[in-house]
Amino acid sequence: MTAKRIIACLDVKKGRVVKGVNFLDLKDKGDPTELAARYEDEGADEIVFLDVTATIEGRRALLEVVKNTASVLSIPLTVGGGIRTIDDVSTILGNGADKVSINTAAVENKKLITEAALQFGSQAVVVAIDAKKVDDDYKVFTRSGSYNTGLSAIRWAKEVEALGAGEILLTSIDRDGTREGYDITLTKMISEAVSIPVIASGGAGKEVHFLEALKVADAALAAGVFHDGVIRIQDLKMYLKSQGLEVRL
Amino acid sequence: MKATVINYGVGNLFSISAGLKRVGFEVSVNSQPEGNEDLIVFPGVGSFNAVASYLSSHKELLKDLRKSGTYFLGVCLGMQIMFEEGTEGGLTKGLGWFKGKVDKIENNGKDKLKLPHIGWDKLIVTDLTCPLTEGLNNQYVYYVHSYVAYPEDESIVRATTIYGIAYPAIICSDNIVGTQFHPEKSSKIGKIFLGNLYRWMKK
Repeated sequence: MTAKRIIACLDVKKGRVVKGVNFLDLKDKGDPTELAARYEDEGADEIVFLDVTATIEGRRALLEVVKNTASVLSIPLTVGGGIRTIDDVSTILGNGADKVSINTAAVENKKLITEAALQFGSQAVVVAIDAKKVDDDYKVFTRSGSYNTGLSAIRWAKEVEALGAGEILLTSIDRDGTREGYDITLTKMISEAVSIPVIASGGAGKEVHFLEALKVADAALAAGVFHDGVIRIQDLKMYLKSQGLEVRL
Repeated sequence: MKATVINYGVGNLFSISAGLKRVGFEVSVNSQPEGNEDLIVFPGVGSFNAVASYLSSHKELLKDLRKSGTYFLGVCLGMQIMFEEGTEGGLTKGLGWFKGKVDKIENNGKDKLKLPHIGWDKLIVTDLTCPLTEGLNNQYVYYVHSYVAYPEDESIVRATTIYGIAYPAIICSDNIVGTQFHPEKSSKIGKIFLGNLYRWMKK
């Protein structure tokens, strides 16, 4: 059985790690390469860098960070944030990322998913879906959670799978940064609707939240609770194992 | 020892290069073999038909190097293209160094199998005497793939992994080694494998 994955996410701004709460209120959390290596040592199964700068200088700094990190890391590295074109995908993978995570551009230009999957393989293409509950339905939001596309999350998830996405990174906007737990209803719904792996994101605050999420998802992602030291990945994995989940120790 | 990582023109070559360097190889990345290396690495990036057509332009050179005793390591797709043919992106001929084909992971229907297979699964070492498999039995390694090799000759298989079916995880025949998992992404266990390879080649 494939082990359930714990993914540490680092929000990167101008080459430094910051943390976002509800996508706002950023706080410097240090050097991404150092943090990524530390998380690998502690047992993280994967690292995600989300570039929260959209400027050219920010992007250059990010590529430098990706390159440095890829040469010290020996677990998979995904990079997302501001990826708009096939050239962006190519540059990021060429600098040492294993996967790219595409969010807004996937909605606005569906062909990008298919083109990237054809050129680099589905395994390199993660589509990030930011979902928020609106009148009893989950809608897809883009542009850092500020724009309601009106798309139903479940329909969009099925569509990105058909377009060639290899994984879905599913974030609950309602839960993100709250530490009240992942949105299990949303996660279960999407995970059952597609046959590609689903990564749960948004709301992790306690070890039990990961357990709940991993019963319905293939992987769980968190940022703040790891950066603040509220949860140590090693302890978390021991706990998950004691609860009967298969994890890599 | 010198290793050349073949650059097919797409994807991430940093990780495999860094992984090889970490265990002692002197690594260069090139679009073709340099001719004086000890190890030629086919990295696990790209798609079967794209990579196979790229390599077929060097087919004779690769065959000569293989006969001269140069070691080869194929990772994931880099291993798959060593077989006769693959179905990814249309039926395509591989290098034909191993008999058999590369096809989608079979689903026995019992569980809903997620594809691509992404994540950490355990190695089941089937040849404990092989120096390449030392310290790897029952350890987790990292996979990302939808296709696997179906070898005709089972004796080349040194370890398997079960995902729906048992498929080859490590194969070895003479100076050719292949892994379906990514040693460069498999943290400490991947390093053990690459270290095993280094010591095995040095002997």
